[in-house]
Amino acid sequence: MAHRPSAKAAPSPSPTASARRTAGSWRFWLRTRATDPTTFLALALLVLFAYLIAGPILLLLGDAVRVHFPEVRRTGLPEGSFTTYYLERATMSPISQAIFWRPLMNTAQVAIGAIALALLVGAPLGWLLSRTNLPGKSWYSTALIVPYMLPSWTFALAWTTLFSNRTTGGTPSWMESFGFNPPDWLAYGQFPITLILALHYAPFVILLFGNALRMFDAQLEDAARIMGASRATITRKIILPMMLPSLVSASTLIFAKALGDFGVAYILGVPVNYNVLATSLFRAISTSQAGMSAVLAGTIVLFGVISILIDMRLLREAGRFQTIGSKGSMDRITDLGRWGPLASGWAMFVFLVSAAIPLIALALTTVMIRPGVFTLENFTFAYWIGTDLGTTALRQGILITPEFWNATWNSLWVVGTASLGAGLLGLLTGYAVARAPMGSVAVLLRQITFLPYLVPGIAFAAAYLSMFAVPRGPLPALYGTYIILVLAIMADQMPFASRAGISAMMQLGKDPEEAARIAGAGWWRRLTAVVIPIQKGALVAGVMLPFISGIKGLSLVVVLAVPGTDLLTTYAIRLVDNGYTQASNAVVLMICVIAFFGTLGAQKLTRSKLSDGLGGR
Amino acid sequence: MAGIRLEGIEKAYSRTGPKAVEELTLDIDDGEFLCLLGPSGCGKTTTLRMLAGLEHPTAGRIELGGRTVVSVPEGICVPAERRGLGLVFQSYALWPHMSVRDNIEFGLKLHNVPSAERRRTADEVMTKLAIVQYADRYPNQLSGGQQQRVALARMLALKPGIILLDEPLSNLDAKLRLEMRAELKRIHREIGATIVFVTHDQWEAMTLATKIAVMSQGELQQLGTPDDIYERPANRFVAEFVGSLPINIIAVPGADEAADALQRWMVTALNDLGAPPGVSSVGIRPEALRIAPAQQPATAPAEPGPAALACTVVDVLPTGGNWIIELSAGGARLFAIAASAPGLAAGTAVRVSLGARDLHLFDADGARIDAAPEPARPA
Repeated sequence: MAHRPSAKAAPSPSPTASARRTAGSWRFWLRTRATDPTTFLALALLVLFAYLIAGPILLLLGDAVRVHFPEVRRTGLPEGSFTTYYLERATMSPISQAIFWRPLMNTAQVAIGAIALALLVGAPLGWLLSRTNLPGKSWYSTALIVPYMLPSWTFALAWTTLFSNRTTGGTPSWMESFGFNPPDWLAYGQFPITLILALHYAPFVILLFGNALRMFDAQLEDAARIMGASRATITRKIILPMMLPSLVSASTLIFAKALGDFGVAYILGVPVNYNVLATSLFRAISTSQAGMSAVLAGTIVLFGVISILIDMRLLREAGRFQTIGSKGSMDRITDLGRWGPLASGWAMFVFLVSAAIPLIALALTTVMIRPGVFTLENFTFAYWIGTDLGTTALRQGILITPEFWNATWNSLWVVGTASLGAGLLGLLTGYAVARAPMGSVAVLLRQITFLPYLVPGIAFAAAYLSMFAVPRGPLPALYGTYIILVLAIMADQMPFASRAGISAMMQLGKDPEEAARIAGAGWWRRLTAVVIPIQKGALVAGVMLPFISGIKGLSLVVVLAVPGTDLLTTYAIRLVDNGYTQASNAVVLMICVIAFFGTLGAQKLTRSKLSDGLGGR
Repeated sequence: MAGIRLEGIEKAYSRTGPKAVEELTLDIDDGEFLCLLGPSGCGKTTTLRMLAGLEHPTAGRIELGGRTVVSVPEGICVPAERRGLGLVFQSYALWPHMSVRDNIEFGLKLHNVPSAERRRTADEVMTKLAIVQYADRYPNQLSGGQQQRVALARMLALKPGIILLDEPLSNLDAKLRLEMRAELKRIHREIGATIVFVTHDQWEAMTLATKIAVMSQGELQQLGTPDDIYERPANRFVAEFVGSLPINIIAVPGADEAADALQRWMVTALNDLGAPPGVSSVGIRPEALRIAPAQQPATAPAEPGPAALACTVVDVLPTGGNWIIELSAGGARLFAIAASAPGLAAGTAVRVSLGARDLHLFDADGARIDAAPEPARPA
């Protein structure tokens, strides 16, 4: 049995494997695949995601350069043929200022302003929360994140409640009741939109910057100090350069989010004709301009992709000098000393402005007949539980209005179903990515499920309209049904769900499943009796997080929901449109309650932190 | 009836890269306790996983107990779950969401064993492995040694005719390792199953196996009993890999090219002993070297061997019970191991002798050359 040790010395008696690929070995290859359907699962998922994610987006982008029926006469081209008509109309026609350039400029200004303001507010707070002995630190670390747990447009509603003026009419604002007439620049448009987005997304900065500071190796600071560097020099030359990636990351994230944020601009901008890309797109969709909406959505996607690419590139570069936290990374706490109360006061101020005051104003408004008038007879619970309100429609309190309960129920089951689907698909995707024997399929799955991340909600909704407004494949036209809502929310949440699934499956390793296999368990049995039970925690997280973000999401569903399929968010917007201030505020408060307690509950349940989800992008 | 036959097994992970396993043919008799031994990356675990059906060869056939479970040319591949063998993973792979009892009963459930019988079987194996008191615990509440026992129990509950063990002792501390080794030997004796186990630890292999298959770079180097492997290594790789203190290898250059005293001594010794031609290196196990103080008068050797070699002690390293003695023969290093080191200290001049049968001769390719029949003793 003795063999020679060197392969070269021993003449190989038979030809190599590749030369021997006979019919039998192909059959063998197929047989081995059949014993383990992971490959088929991966391919099936790929087809599904191609249909639910890639298809709509490609179709949408195609719509921008395809002649649609209304423009057949104007362009003189048959429907469906290639055209640059929409692109030209958006960028070079007499109306392009109004429909494209000005919204684009507004979007850019709002986004950049929001980033600057968020950095200004968030970075010092991030430092206070991570590296100082700020009084009440642990309380603040939850309180200052509250704005992010709630829908951004909640604060827009609060703003109109406090500052709106006679320009748009409707219920008087608190300021008006106090006898002060807010000027237009304060009441509507760029200033409030920027401010609200900045405060809403400042938690990104607090969390990302704070985490980076927390991970920062204090030995690097010490090394500079021993060489004689002053505190200011250390901050400028050592700490800030190494913190830059986290700040840039937070900035690009805010940029991408602000790009697709529909609700705030819709509430505060549209009434005074201040448009951003998202509201322009909404108008184009609601006036059935398929070509124009594709151009606008494509622009949003383009900027979204660019910002994410910048982010990924910077993160990769930052990875080059990433220092692994050793024992030097232990928390080094700066003693604030007599500045403590001042710092705490600043944090409290931010909390009051970004969360407490808006929410209290919203809440108080729902029990006031005339907002901002603090007399006893002005208080009433009629908007919650009253009847005969003397309005044209909605003559009873929100809590006894069937539409409200309908919308609540719809929100719960539509978003719930979508999240459950996303969570399960995410776990299956994780399974396929971690186990599929073909590496290319795994990479493709990863990328395709990440795609919705690049497409802001409202553009994704536009994509869904392109895809499912007409019958496609086995599906009939879905617009106006619940199915399109479930599918769109589910697809939109796939980036988070698949990431959760992939990381969970990667951590699990193959052994428990292979052990089940040896014990005699077939594929399905292994999945249901071993993999899913072990991944229970990850599955819960993969369902809960999409659920919370779906419940408060507006930009995606505002395009896809119709009055018959209202969710809480779209119902609230309809109430806003019709001027039912108290009722809409009440509905928004209900959404806040669900989102807030949902987030807290999910954190408890999964023992994770919101910041982990952010950092784990 | 649970022999194993591997025929021309080959595994390539990529079309161009080196093969993980090459042309492996191996017959394992029923009831054998076979160890696949080799350094990491030698293909031993891949071979085990192919037996289990967790990986698939790119060529060849595998028969388990007379049944063909893999045949690439015929397109046969029985999935792992239908091969009916037992496997204990290196990580134990206990299911964390099931109690010890559920872990053990899971396989029985899959085979539709009625619940009363399941219980009885589980109790039986748990008692046998002394883990019955942990039946309701979960794996994360158990120590490594207990987990190991649960993993064994889970596998034994299905009464497989073939048992595969993947580095079963590597995660245990020294004392538990000794205990489990005895346990494995007992199990093998009691149930008489064919056992194939993988290890890179030659001591484990020597003490447990009835046969050892030494592998390197995807190829089988030698198959034999532990004694065979140690005393008659088929090639230089096996000789160097097996042995707790590495074997001394002395290059044998052409007659006039000897570089140092050691090589000169070896060339002369081979000539004197009438060794066959083509010897390119010689291996000498450290424990074969007998050390005597230089000034002590030479006694007649117990067996024929090369003339004694004059050496200087460089260092003496106690290892607890044994001494490793580092020697220098005109600058060339030799290692010896001795049960006692009376009066040896650095700088002591000694005389080293050994028997002719302690010389392992290898040719230029490293393959073993069997020495010519021993020269007749002088009358």
